Amino acid sequence: MSGRTVGVSAWRAVSRTAYLVGLPLALVALWWLASDRSTSYYWPPLRVVLDSFPGTWFTGRLTHDVVPSLIRLGVGYATASVLGISLGVVLGSSRSLRAAAEPVLEFFRAVPPPVMVPILILLTGIGNTMKVLVIIFGAFWPILLNTVEGVRGVDEVLADTARCYRVRGPARLRYLVLPSAGPQIVTGMHQALSIGIILMVISEMVAASNGLGFAIVQFQRSFAIPEMWGGIILLGALGFGLAMLFQVVQGRALRWYHGVRKAQRGGG
Amino acid sequence: MLDVRSLRKVYEGAGRTVEAVQDLSFGVGKGEFVCILGPSGAGKTTLLKCIAGLLLPTAGEVMLQGRRVTEPPPGLAVVFQEYGRSLFPWMSCRRNVELPLRQKGLPKARRAELVEEALSAVGLGDVHDAYPWQLSGGMQQRVAIARAVAYEPAVLLMDEPFAAVDAQTRADLEDLIRSLWERLGMTILFVTHDIDEAVYLGQRVLVLSAAPTVVMEDLAVDLPPCRDQMATRSSRRFAELRAHLYEQIQAAKRGRR
Repeated sequence: MSGRTVGVSAWRAVSRTAYLVGLPLALVALWWLASDRSTSYYWPPLRVVLDSFPGTWFTGRLTHDVVPSLIRLGVGYATASVLGISLGVVLGSSRSLRAAAEPVLEFFRAVPPPVMVPILILLTGIGNTMKVLVIIFGAFWPILLNTVEGVRGVDEVLADTARCYRVRGPARLRYLVLPSAGPQIVTGMHQALSIGIILMVISEMVAASNGLGFAIVQFQRSFAIPEMWGGIILLGALGFGLAMLFQVVQGRALRWYHGVRKAQRGGG
Repeated sequence: MLDVRSLRKVYEGAGRTVEAVQDLSFGVGKGEFVCILGPSGAGKTTLLKCIAGLLLPTAGEVMLQGRRVTEPPPGLAVVFQEYGRSLFPWMSCRRNVELPLRQKGLPKARRAELVEEALSAVGLGDVHDAYPWQLSGGMQQRVAIARAVAYEPAVLLMDEPFAAVDAQTRADLEDLIRSLWERLGMTILFVTHDIDEAVYLGQRVLVLSAAPTVVMEDLAVDLPPCRDQMATRSSRRFAELRAHLYEQIQAAKRGRR
């Protein structure tokens, strides 16, 4: 790599970071200025929203609302991942099973996850079980379907190579199938993460005694409008933070994949 | 060592059947270097896959060391043409070479030893931790060869392994295979569509007809065992063998059987 390309890529990194930080800052500033003189009850100035923020969230709501939400999301998302990947590997490896399961899968995939909320309330009450099940129900499908595609797409020559060297059973899964399907699985998990966050909030809005979604609805119903806006900002920041975390983790796990793509594009 | 008896392979497609291999019989002795030469579309890869146990023949059988091949047998390694698709891109070169040894159940110390030996034997002593996609095509194929060699196979199958590398690299890899064969004494079955390559490498050349395939000729290559890119290729006997095989291949293309 020459000095010039180092310079260019360093410059790219700097401008990317500037954009990543700068754009939100600019939008916040715009919001701040545009809302500053607002007298509307429902659109309070950002100044007022941020003033109310520490008193609302740092006095117990973090542990009372945010942590329970995150735990439900974490448990639901992890369970959906384990179920989706396991079943995806099974279905992806067997054409006849896939053919048999397809109509059922298509049906359930087409059911919007929020409609499961009323049914799950009837079946499991309004506790954590219901919320975790809703998250699982929504996050499961993209992971399952992407895993199936990823497993089906294992390269034929690579599969033959593994067979010749008698790599089979659990070793085949570990060294061939899972890594090969990895990029697709990650795509599914990425979609599932945003779906999981949405369902976390929705399930809490419908019926709950704590959680972020619950808190936001509470504020809205008690006309604590700046606090409600603060909750929405917090939710947005949380989603952004989780997405960034996801990027970092997948970048590490799929370093080989990004390397291959880069090599194929002819870049060094 | 290896016996192919009345092998026949018919592919059953949607509404049509293709007879790829009609009737193939030949034997390969222990430690022999045999090249299989045929025009493109001669069912060479089909034959190789049947020998490797990756495909089941429609009729006939493949016997390896006295046992009938119904699945990939132990002691058999394959080097494919598509090196880019036969190395695991998520593993370093070292781990690629090591994986089959792990499956064999070798202890860690022995594995490390074999990996080290094999990689330096193919001239890649210093790229253990690189990923395959960080290497050139020729180097990737060397890693695949190292993996096959480290496996210590009784039979090494090679499916047009050098068809996708440039001419210079190809000559180097040909010499590499010859020297590995001389040193390690495994049986090699080398599929190619390149006449020069077949004559240069093999002790015997099996000429296949166009599909549906039969053996057209079983030719002993009576060149001195020590091959050299310059001397061997410019020798008179090399030219004669080459011309003879060229005629055979032309005849095969015209449909002679």
